[in-house]
Amino acid sequence: MLRYVIRRLLLVIPTMFFVALITFTLAHMAPGSPFDLNANRPLSQATIDRINRYYGVDKPIPEQFVIYMGNLLKGDLGTSFTRQRPVVDIIGQGIGTTFQLGLGALAFALAFSIPLGIVSALKQNTIVDYLSMLVATIGTTIPGFVIAIFLIYIFGVSLHLLPFVGWGSWQHMVMPIFVLSLGAGGFLTRITRASMLEAIRQDYVRTARSKGLHERAVIVGHALKNALIPVATIIGPATAGLITGSFIIETLFNVPGMGRLYIISIGQRDYPVIMATTLLYAFLIMIANLTVDIMYGVLDPRIKVR
Amino acid sequence: MATAVTTRDKRVAELNVISRKQRSLWGDAWYRLIRNRGALVGLVVIAFAALIAIFSDFNVLGIHIKLAPYDPRELNGPKQLMEPIWTKLFGSKFTDPAYIFGSDELGRDILSRLMYSSRVSLIIGFVPVSIVLAIGITVGMLAGYVGGVVDDFLMRVTDVVYAFPDLLFVIIIVATLRGTGLGDAFDGLLVIFVGIAVVNWVGVARLVRGQVLATKNREFVEAARSIGAGPGRIMRKHIFPNILAPVIVTAAFAIPGAMLTEAVLSFLGIGIRPPTPTWGVMINEGFIVFSTTPWPVLLPSLCISLVLLAFTFVGDGLRDALDPRSKM
Repeated sequence: MLRYVIRRLLLVIPTMFFVALITFTLAHMAPGSPFDLNANRPLSQATIDRINRYYGVDKPIPEQFVIYMGNLLKGDLGTSFTRQRPVVDIIGQGIGTTFQLGLGALAFALAFSIPLGIVSALKQNTIVDYLSMLVATIGTTIPGFVIAIFLIYIFGVSLHLLPFVGWGSWQHMVMPIFVLSLGAGGFLTRITRASMLEAIRQDYVRTARSKGLHERAVIVGHALKNALIPVATIIGPATAGLITGSFIIETLFNVPGMGRLYIISIGQRDYPVIMATTLLYAFLIMIANLTVDIMYGVLDPRIKVR
Repeated sequence: MATAVTTRDKRVAELNVISRKQRSLWGDAWYRLIRNRGALVGLVVIAFAALIAIFSDFNVLGIHIKLAPYDPRELNGPKQLMEPIWTKLFGSKFTDPAYIFGSDELGRDILSRLMYSSRVSLIIGFVPVSIVLAIGITVGMLAGYVGGVVDDFLMRVTDVVYAFPDLLFVIIIVATLRGTGLGDAFDGLLVIFVGIAVVNWVGVARLVRGQVLATKNREFVEAARSIGAGPGRIMRKHIFPNILAPVIVTAAFAIPGAMLTEAVLSFLGIGIRPPTPTWGVMINEGFIVFSTTPWPVLLPSLCISLVLLAFTFVGDGLRDALDPRSKM
């Protein structure tokens, strides 16, 4: 087990290197430089050369990459091209908001999906089951930004109940968190239902019933405990998905988080910010995947990890 | 004598029953699919969208059918932001019978734009998924059956691609290639194909590899090998048909996934170039006037929701039909 964990952890290093290499190459291959933004006031060639030299983008791309990786190992993420501030500060500002949004959405998704999945498994093929499956399907299928549009129209524009621009008060958080939670929540509902359906047909559940336990004790103590193993392992990637998937919601609701920062930086070709955000996202996803695989082994002794 | 007749009758009746129930495995799956009400509704919606996409402006071999009332790019200054005609019942003064679904902020007919948009959506749904399947199945089969270098390569690529957030990777690719010739081809359609293909083929290849590994030591493959079938023939005729079911299900879910990617990209303003209409572009453009007139945003949102739901229902139906054991 320990050897497995160590091997997986070591694999993170080359993977991160390739993620950095691909992103760096793509970002720098893109036509246009970050400094030719103002078409009305073209800069003289001498100025452009000076700016390029200042930011080190006049060197060949491989050399730039080596310099970047060297700085990265020293913990220096560089300075933003457009904001003239260290990238660490800029990301530090956005990451808190993104985590608030993501973790809020995760908590909400868990709060509605697990009970919904359990109920629909216990009442399989009844109207309750069909309704909750319909809700789950809509949640996973209809894109968040489309649901957000309908909600903004109803609660923001027509009823004036909730603000739909910005972040800060709880009213601002209601719609973005709700919308973001729907995708993961729908998925979790389906997983819970499926694994609960499997669990209540197992021999140990029949045994528990036959020795005269209360139905409640059978469901909570025997079936649910085992049914939640697959659910628990999904929570890792779901969290990563929520944190990385929030950039559309952030853009739509004007939430000053990392996702919105990412979209803006791509438009402005702000290489250091693009690199740092991509690497951070990739790191989060890898840790989430790793956590799942380890959790599987810990929670379910029937599974042998190699 | 009498008993002989009855046994023969019984035998005939039995044969009848058997011959009526005979269906191929795929026929059986199809029967299960269309018996699923959700999947059937989904198929009808998709067929409807496909017909609209084809006949919004159909001009082949002298047959000219044009369902769309206007050119989707035709501007009509004085008729900006007309509301759909049914809003007249609720007291709207800004309707025009010539614009059934109203017009957008440049006076373009929303109905015509919605119809043309279905074209781009369906193309995005089917073309990149075909590319993904072609690459994914080829690499996956080779990695699973031959192993060796191809397998190692696939596994390393998978590690990297799985670490990238899907949509962000597509965004980087599309945004990077935007200014180049590839990015401009077909109003930005081609670069979206590339982005979706690059990100998604790995998943299919992994799936196929796993299936091949599980199949290649089964008895029927061994039997084929023992009568002298070559690796190519075994892969094509014996393994491929047996791993097809999960691949079809994956493809069925990849189609709405690709459509969603296009919608998100266009909504963020880095997808299909205006004035080419797509639902995502319409939402993006209409968002400016959203608090005044919601219709230019609500109607395309509704269209994309319906089509994505339809594909998901068909995908669910296919999974149940092809693998009756799965309960998801």
